[in-house]
Amino acid sequence: MSAPAHPGRWLVGSAAAFVAGAILLPLAGPSPLDYGAILARREPDWSILLQLRVSRTLLGLFAGGALSLAGSLFQAMLREALATPYTLGVSSGASLGAVIVIALGGHTFLGVPAIWSGALAGAAVVQFLVVGSAARQGRMSAFGLLLTGIATNSVCSAVILLIYGFASMSQSFSIARWLLGSVDAIGYGALLPFIAVTTLITAWVLTQARHWNLLAVGEEWASARGARVPRLMLAGYVAGSVLAASTVALTGPIGFVGLIVPHLARSRVGADHRVLMPCSFLMGGVLLAGCDALGRSILAPAEVPAGAIMALVGGPYLVWLVRRRG
Amino acid sequence: MPLLALRDVSCRAGSTPVLEGVSFEAGPGELIALMGRNGAGKSTLMNAIAGLQRAIGGAVLLEGRSVEQWSPAERARTLCHLPQSVRADLPFSAEQLVLMGRYPHADRWFESDADRAAVETAMRRTGCAAFRDRRVSTLSGGERQRVLLAACLAQEPRLLLLDEPSTFLDVDQQLHCFSLLREEAQRGAACIAVTHDLNLALTFCSRLIVLAERGVALDRPAAEALASPDWLGLFSPRLHLNDDGAGRRWVSFT
Repeated sequence: MSAPAHPGRWLVGSAAAFVAGAILLPLAGPSPLDYGAILARREPDWSILLQLRVSRTLLGLFAGGALSLAGSLFQAMLREALATPYTLGVSSGASLGAVIVIALGGHTFLGVPAIWSGALAGAAVVQFLVVGSAARQGRMSAFGLLLTGIATNSVCSAVILLIYGFASMSQSFSIARWLLGSVDAIGYGALLPFIAVTTLITAWVLTQARHWNLLAVGEEWASARGARVPRLMLAGYVAGSVLAASTVALTGPIGFVGLIVPHLARSRVGADHRVLMPCSFLMGGVLLAGCDALGRSILAPAEVPAGAIMALVGGPYLVWLVRRRG
Repeated sequence: MPLLALRDVSCRAGSTPVLEGVSFEAGPGELIALMGRNGAGKSTLMNAIAGLQRAIGGAVLLEGRSVEQWSPAERARTLCHLPQSVRADLPFSAEQLVLMGRYPHADRWFESDADRAAVETAMRRTGCAAFRDRRVSTLSGGERQRVLLAACLAQEPRLLLLDEPSTFLDVDQQLHCFSLLREEAQRGAACIAVTHDLNLALTFCSRLIVLAERGVALDRPAAEALASPDWLGLFSPRLHLNDDGAGRRWVSFT
């Protein structure tokens, strides 16, 4: 296969799709909006648009972007096509934290919903354990990270099942609902800090794009071309984990977006991370926000969680990808 | 001050000691063949010189300063390292891989025209301009090897460390590869190439260094090595040095 001819066009195209998504997707939903009422800022249409639809769309765009970027970052660092926040255990750590909080019946902690704090704490603990056991004499081994992550995944899933077994009926319903993963309307007080954190980390990751190119070839290759590999691996792992954990805290574990989008983008724009990473972020955002808009519209007034739509799309895509490669 | 000086260097591969007390110097204009049987420590020594692996004893000095004290970027502008292999399923195009040789030369996010010119020259010299847009994963072993060599040349280093640069290459390309290395040496660079081909080494290189029994078993200018074939036993008892009577000598085997 030859290199794609127009990576620049894909970058412009996905940026346009991202902006178009932010403007158009809030218009999709179970109840049709009265555009006249919106232009006149009349209730309830104005509030539905601003408080529910716009915040939800923005969450979908940035959550999908953050998970896709984290996926392409981990895939570059570990040179492993299946590396995502999920295979590395970050997401299951966040899930375990959230499930513990649900089971304990916590509501708010320091002014934010306790589930978010639980997810962040869970992700931090897992990250500490995984990095600690994969690091040897200041060097992180890609294979060690992946293996430790997969082991952590199993442990976290087992503990979640245990808690699920002991939880009351209503709690186990909340747990099951949360584990499905969904993009729900959230207040701007939580949304804006999330967008700020995601934007800052994304900006840093993009400035290091040439280093991710080098690491995608190999650690010695990178080291022989001027990269400080151990420091870079640690910083990259922390950046990817924070992106994933803060997203999973708000949405629950949304499967596949971190796996599909980087592969899709790579097959279209090539492997240069200076183009691949911004494209992954933008395309991932559009895909997740689009899945959510679809999920809240097709069976209205019932809602299909974005996580379920993503899995329905993502599973077959993955199989197709593997078949085409084979 | 020599460009490269090894003083009493000892190295391990994992926990196994493979080299003890290795010392030699290398300077501009030299093309050194680093040889030895399997497991003699050739790649380990190359990694130690490139700063990719820490020597457990002694010192690797680059322009008089320990190679570990150089910042990675500064080191990468001075020396390049051609690995024995890279993973075969790389998603990059050949040109993207060669461009990576320019990364240590600029902090910019994108390459300058000068960088592109260096890449163009390197790809033309190694004969891989024709498949610049092809993915590395679709190239043959020999084509991939030429792309890796181009990436090293594009780095414009003063010290080239090449771990088996002629693997996978057809005979004509092997000759071309070593001609390129000789050009680099004549240009003023120092080259150290690992090879198992004694005739390539004797034809193109200015000096042979043979590793055996954890140390330097032979360090001799190629011309002297051709004159006295006593060292051939380091490789195999079945080797002979032939002479066509007109001064041309070559190694044959039985």
